[in-house]
Amino acid sequence: MTTRVKRPGQGFELAMMTPALILLAAISLVPLGTMIYMSLSKVSLIGGLSLSFAGLANWTRLFTDPDIGASWLRTVVYFVATVGLEMVLGTLIALLVHSLIRGRNLVLSLVLIPMFIAPIIVGLLGRFLFDPSFGLYSWLLASTGLYEGNVMGSVGPAMYTVIGLDVWEWTPLVALIVLAGLTAVPTDILEAADVDGASYRHKLWHIVLPAITPILLVALLIRSMDALRFFAIIFITTNGGPADSTKTVPIRLYDIAFRFFDLGYASAVGLTMLAVSIIIATVFVRVLERREATP
Amino acid sequence: MSHSSFDRRSFLKGAGGLAALTALGAGGLRNALAAQIADDATWQQAKGTTINFISENTPPTTAIAANLEAFKKLTGITVNITQMELGALVQKVALDFGSGRSAYDVIYADPYQIVAPYRQGLTDLNTLNGKNGLPAIPKGVGDFIPTQLGAAGYFENRKSLYALPYDCPTMIWIYRKDLFDKYHDRMAADLGFDPTPSDKITWEQYYRIAEWFNGDHVKEVKYGTGHQAKQYDSLQCDFSNVLMAYGGEYFNNGDRVGLLGSAEPGPCTLDQPAAIEAATFYQKLLKIADPGSTSWDWTGLANAFGNKRFAMMPQWHEFAGSLESGDLKGKVGYAPLPTGPKRSVNLYGGCGIGINGNATGKQQTAAWLFLVWATSPQTQLAGLKSKAGGGTPTRTSVYEMPEVQKASTPPTDMPNMLTADTMKVAWQPDHIGLRPKIPSWNQADTAVFTELSRMLAGQKKPAAAMKAAKRKVDSATGA
Repeated sequence: MTTRVKRPGQGFELAMMTPALILLAAISLVPLGTMIYMSLSKVSLIGGLSLSFAGLANWTRLFTDPDIGASWLRTVVYFVATVGLEMVLGTLIALLVHSLIRGRNLVLSLVLIPMFIAPIIVGLLGRFLFDPSFGLYSWLLASTGLYEGNVMGSVGPAMYTVIGLDVWEWTPLVALIVLAGLTAVPTDILEAADVDGASYRHKLWHIVLPAITPILLVALLIRSMDALRFFAIIFITTNGGPADSTKTVPIRLYDIAFRFFDLGYASAVGLTMLAVSIIIATVFVRVLERREATP
Repeated sequence: MSHSSFDRRSFLKGAGGLAALTALGAGGLRNALAAQIADDATWQQAKGTTINFISENTPPTTAIAANLEAFKKLTGITVNITQMELGALVQKVALDFGSGRSAYDVIYADPYQIVAPYRQGLTDLNTLNGKNGLPAIPKGVGDFIPTQLGAAGYFENRKSLYALPYDCPTMIWIYRKDLFDKYHDRMAADLGFDPTPSDKITWEQYYRIAEWFNGDHVKEVKYGTGHQAKQYDSLQCDFSNVLMAYGGEYFNNGDRVGLLGSAEPGPCTLDQPAAIEAATFYQKLLKIADPGSTSWDWTGLANAFGNKRFAMMPQWHEFAGSLESGDLKGKVGYAPLPTGPKRSVNLYGGCGIGINGNATGKQQTAAWLFLVWATSPQTQLAGLKSKAGGGTPTRTSVYEMPEVQKASTPPTDMPNMLTADTMKVAWQPDHIGLRPKIPSWNQADTAVFTELSRMLAGQKKPAAAMKAAKRKVDSATGA
């Protein structure tokens, strides 16, 4: 059983933080409340914003819209592929960079370059590199006989390409986070394992990975939140096509909100994205807390 | 349509054109306009006002932007021009209407994405034309090409005028004239008909010409035809030429729904036999087209044509300007699109410019003066000569000017006019193609190009794709 101890000065600290907390709550809660109300309304823009109550019409439509269902399925595929690849590759790269004795900073600087490029630029790079007319990668793929079709204009390859672009951009972030975690692995335990004759695989599996699990969860949490609302690269490269094969929920939400201006329905879709994000974040945070509570 | 990007060459041309038009000076234009349209006091009545013009990044606006100093000297009005991709423009305009403000006083009013859904947000220009000391439209609205005035300016009826025709990109058959000339006799012998592009060629013959180029007959190009078949508005545009040529329509009474528009167009007719036949042919055509077609919009297609990948394409005629200034200068030919079982159809993609209904007082006066100037014959002529861009005129009187008529044959300093003879045919009521002007066009458009994309990807047969598109369009229109 634990007892809560009131730390001295807590009241003063809380009082000092209150204005900022109120401001944060206002800029978060007011839009959230507006969005919830909009999701229950029919929204018109002509002559100024006007909302007329529509009950649960938008929500009913949401759960019966096959296009939204298909988009969620694509989002899950995209989410699992990007986050999974980024975690594995990021961890491997971090282990490799950590094992370097000389030139570590130089290699790390080079590895980190992609994450400093704006996603919209990554999208444009992808668009030009895979252009069937003058794209370098399209030419390489065709020259080597690996793929002679139209990369961005074919159903499967288009999805692989946007996943690849995301992985290229954000794997360095995972590598950076994991690298920070690796510096905290206790060296005395590793040295003891060396004395005991443990192999690299054993050390990695039984010492390093358990030690960096909390930081891996943090990386997973950050990338998961991002992957779920990933937009720029797909928008620039394929805009959801061909045949809707890359139309994830954020791309469809953009269409509904800013092409069709169906803002009531868009609010309902947006709120479901928010709910899914919260659920995923909560699960990861719980796992993280459980790990930290374990002695 | 959208010209969503400019290449380096266009940019350099723009810089050169800016200098050239500045050198042309306000003097000549000012005198011409002052004499023909209004006196100095009329032009100067909103002096000192600043207005904002939001436009798609099209060649006419690029030319106007390069020529703004002339307008400022004439009127004392400062115009800030914001140019962007059409989708972004629609967002900004819709949100501006929603805010009840007038952040943008003059609006590039796409008939399908702005006029149809948001016409209540635009000023009825009839209330300004020649009223309350404001100048009238020079030569009257009757000088605008009639189909363009109907499509770009009105909605449902001709009572309220929401926009003045400003640009007029229209899809035509653009082809490698050098190759068609060089291989004409061989093609004619192999195919059994004269392959010279014109509206006498059928779409089936177009297919056979494309197939001929795909063979080993020529080394200059790899493919016969290219298309703007990316899952985007461009795919719907490309398909609409074939659809209407085969007698298919989006709605019953398609001509009226296209020309004036309708808030209640009734049930979609894409499930009818003619539409399915058109879709079947389109799928067949795209199977032999350059495989890059499914990732190109209009700009990508024009770039690929410029890169000499294929011999011909259905494309917006305003790309003639950039094609005639590249490697293919003098090697490109223009013709109306092929004919189908019903007719030859050339899809119109023009837009007007209108005034934000929330603009008041001096802002509205200044906006009207700008509209009159920007769509005047003199400004359209200057646009034709502009090295900064320039579209093609929307006024009959400009095409009748001797120097413009002379420019329709090479060599010319108005490359867009090389399409003039083709356009005279393409804009005839029996040749022009008008997509539906309905408030929910964005949803309908998305439904059509998504189902077409599925068809081209082999996920759906033509009949299933057309039926699915009809169902979604009906859902969007509430039919």
